[in-house]
Amino acid sequence: MSAASAPDRKGRSGALAGLVAGLSLVLVPASVWAADAVSPVAPAPTPPAAARAVVVPLPEPAEPAEPAAPAPPARIRLPALGVDAPVAPVGVDDRGRMDVPLDIATVGWYRFGPGPGATAGSAVLSGHVDDREQGYGAFHRLADLAPGDPVTVDLADGGAVAYRVETVTRFRKADLPVTDVFARTGQPRLTLVTCGGPFDYTARGYTENVVVVARPDAP
Amino acid sequence: MRLNHLARRTGFAVGGALALALVTAPAAVAQDTAAVYVVHGVPDTPVDVYVDGQRAIDDFQPGTEQGPVDLPAGSHKVDLFPADAADGSGTPVLSANADLPAGGSFTLVAHLDASGNPKITPFENDVSSVPAGQARLVVRHTAAAPAVDVLAGGKPVVQGLSNGDQKALEVPAGSVSAAVAAAGTTDPVIGPADVDLQEGTATFVHAIGKLDGGKLELVSFTVSDLHGSPSGVPSGAPSGAPAEGAPAWLLVSTVAGLAVVAVSASRLRSATRR
Repeated sequence: MSAASAPDRKGRSGALAGLVAGLSLVLVPASVWAADAVSPVAPAPTPPAAARAVVVPLPEPAEPAEPAAPAPPARIRLPALGVDAPVAPVGVDDRGRMDVPLDIATVGWYRFGPGPGATAGSAVLSGHVDDREQGYGAFHRLADLAPGDPVTVDLADGGAVAYRVETVTRFRKADLPVTDVFARTGQPRLTLVTCGGPFDYTARGYTENVVVVARPDAP
Repeated sequence: MRLNHLARRTGFAVGGALALALVTAPAAVAQDTAAVYVVHGVPDTPVDVYVDGQRAIDDFQPGTEQGPVDLPAGSHKVDLFPADAADGSGTPVLSANADLPAGGSFTLVAHLDASGNPKITPFENDVSSVPAGQARLVVRHTAAAPAVDVLAGGKPVVQGLSNGDQKALEVPAGSVSAAVAAAGTTDPVIGPADVDLQEGTATFVHAIGKLDGGKLELVSFTVSDLHGSPSGVPSGAPSGAPAEGAPAWLLVSTVAGLAVVAVSASRLRSATRR
């Protein structure tokens, strides 16, 4: 017999089609997801040379008679991302890393460093990306900020400090320039930090940090 | 009588005479100088301090400290004369040669040894960077007293510290209830007192005086701006898994796809066999 009967051929091609469809259901989404998980690194929105440095080291300012520290930050607003989140002071964890509030809707301020509105140095705010149990964090879309976007930090005393985004940079976690991020000298700036890049299920964490540096808005 | 010499590292004000004496040194860069603090821990004996024959501190009172001043690196002769001495020409109460390496930080402590004789002990100050979130506490035994323990919150954190010894601790920044007790005991001979240890600072505490007659006290100073940076920012998923990791739709799709594959494969097999 040279060929299968008509019903047989039809059954086989139907089954073949099902096989292909089934496999594509399995493989295509997985590959899309995998690509999504690893692709976004591109450190590339190559900022102009002047803006490239995350932190510009500047000569230490002449020490004035200890200006009063500004009131602690209370909220951060990122209108470009629709974010308006509470800010809580944080210190370090038991491994010497900056603490980040467990509540991913709350942003942490490194209370041992300068505060927003300080006359020098980097005020550091950090927020979580997301969490399986809590959903999306306040800084989930931080990497979507673009130079020029406004950032406002409300202070506990009712004041506010306005900034504009200058740079958005990604670093492998091991390469985070912590002495720049947490600098206490140099021009005043706001540094927003969250995580990014692929999620490492073994280390149970993201492999990168997203760092946004904003400068005080010209008055 | 604190005047206007502002030390860059700490913002401490320093006695005017001392500042004057040091201005005569060339405006040296930090690498060529050493930062020097002085602590007076000999009871009942106000002194004038002479450095290399020049009066540096007039009427330095027991139980006080001064500094820092930047002295040119090298060897210096330090003489203490009674505060009412006319000049530095007589016989000093105490003398010491201080050999100061460039870039270092030191404290010269005039104090009583364990048996009550006055002496000068130089200590090197650990002013290296302090880990983020912490403060350094350095305790020095410079009193006429046997070995002591230092208690924090009632528990010994330094044990068996003897006259002339120092011990450094790095502790979480904040307020700590500190006391000094005879070694092996927890009954304070000094304190307890609340000590506020600010993040990124080093506080040098000297026990001075003598145990007999209950004339023990503490003299301390703090060096600021020794902050270390946090080692990283773990701003990922606090539960250890991301919201988007292996999302639900992927699982549904995979299960559905596998089911279709299985059904199709068996249909294919039966169709082929037929």
